[in-house]
Amino acid sequence: MKNSYNNLNLKKVLCITLFSFLFFQFLTSQSYSDNVKNGEVIVQKMIADAKQHAVKTIKLSPKERSLKIEILIKQFINLDFMARATTGSYWKKATNTQKEKYKSALLKQIVNTIEEHLNTLATLAYKPLKSEARGKKLVYVKGIIKDHSKKIPDVNLLWKLAKDKKGNFLVLDLEIEGVSLVSSHKAETMAILRRYKGDFKALLNTFTKSE
Amino acid sequence: MKQNKFVFSYLLILLFVLSSCSTNLKNSAESTDPFESLNRNIFAFNKSLDQNIVSPVSTAYVKTIPHSIRKNISNHLEWMDTPSTIVNSALQMDLENTILASAKFMLNGLSFGFYDFDNNETKIQKKDLGSTLAKLNVPEGPFLMLPLLGPKTARDFTGTLSDRQNLSNVSSNSVNKLSLVEIPVNLVDKRSKLAKNIENIYESPDPYTKMKSYYIQNRRKNVYGDTYLEDKNNKLDIEFEKLLQ
Repeated sequence: MKNSYNNLNLKKVLCITLFSFLFFQFLTSQSYSDNVKNGEVIVQKMIADAKQHAVKTIKLSPKERSLKIEILIKQFINLDFMARATTGSYWKKATNTQKEKYKSALLKQIVNTIEEHLNTLATLAYKPLKSEARGKKLVYVKGIIKDHSKKIPDVNLLWKLAKDKKGNFLVLDLEIEGVSLVSSHKAETMAILRRYKGDFKALLNTFTKSE
Repeated sequence: MKQNKFVFSYLLILLFVLSSCSTNLKNSAESTDPFESLNRNIFAFNKSLDQNIVSPVSTAYVKTIPHSIRKNISNHLEWMDTPSTIVNSALQMDLENTILASAKFMLNGLSFGFYDFDNNETKIQKKDLGSTLAKLNVPEGPFLMLPLLGPKTARDFTGTLSDRQNLSNVSSNSVNKLSLVEIPVNLVDKRSKLAKNIENIYESPDPYTKMKSYYIQNRRKNVYGDTYLEDKNNKLDIEFEKLLQ
């Protein structure tokens, strides 16, 4: 009698465990696929906005164009993350004012780097290739810029996105033909910081001089 | 004389292989840069040469020569590089690339490479001795900034020298003279294609480091392909996840 009671209990426990496991798997996969979809939507929106921007600002001077695209890019990137990722352990040593100044200088640098690619989108076609969830938080969205007249070779793009603290999906990094924006900015920033023994003020001065 | 050239080129390979031994830096973000101060001086020299001579010539080239002719010149320069791709694809046992590159070389040879009959439909992966050495697990070696040639790793510099040397060994004197004309044309052609990227590098706070980072990432992607990108991204993912916590 006791044995059959134990067997029944064991079956119940096993069933509940299996069901919970499957339910958890279902929820996780659902949330991953939602993340991937959100990531794709953000990239598509950014490209559509960049195309519109390129057409609207075609008659403006390069400086005015840059200023406008700066506002556009700021909406889609996680600048706080990029600033921390490019300064490594030196970030904690900076004051709040220095952090803000660095973020705005970094934004200008990012705009300089990707502006041209975003402007070319006005005349070229962007084709999404593949999206995938990476780990618990990251989403990769791959795409290609194609010139149907074949004057310009294809450009492969990889956007890395994740939710910020407010729950908005934002771009963390962009790889253009395998060259990571964050990695190259980090190499540059760290080289300057090492040269000036971690002095953030000197880093900001170097950034200001190059503007 | 030709025998001496062969000995010279293979001595160079040996020299750089030995000088660059020990660690394989395929997965590290940075390349070793023991000659940084010398490299920075050469970079400054290259930059001034570029801004004063190459860039104005390249701008004039773009303005005066129509796009179709520039395209033909560019096709021809690429065609001249194809034998190196064929040989190195064969050495790397990449049969598909060897066959495609050979077929394209012969087809476009009908117009001495000036016209691309294939209209760039066949994707051929460029290969040189540097990439062959990489496949043989020869380490990258230190980063070098070379006068006129620009950024290279010791391994890729060895490859470039050897590719050039082998081309002159197998080709006739007239082809050698032609290549003397082609080097500056190639320089101007490449400069015109990369104009925006180069300007962007010059405007950055540390142009030397930026150029080094761009070169290393791009070169590793071309040499190791998806394996390198996957390894690099796996490492970056861990770093990013930590920062997102």
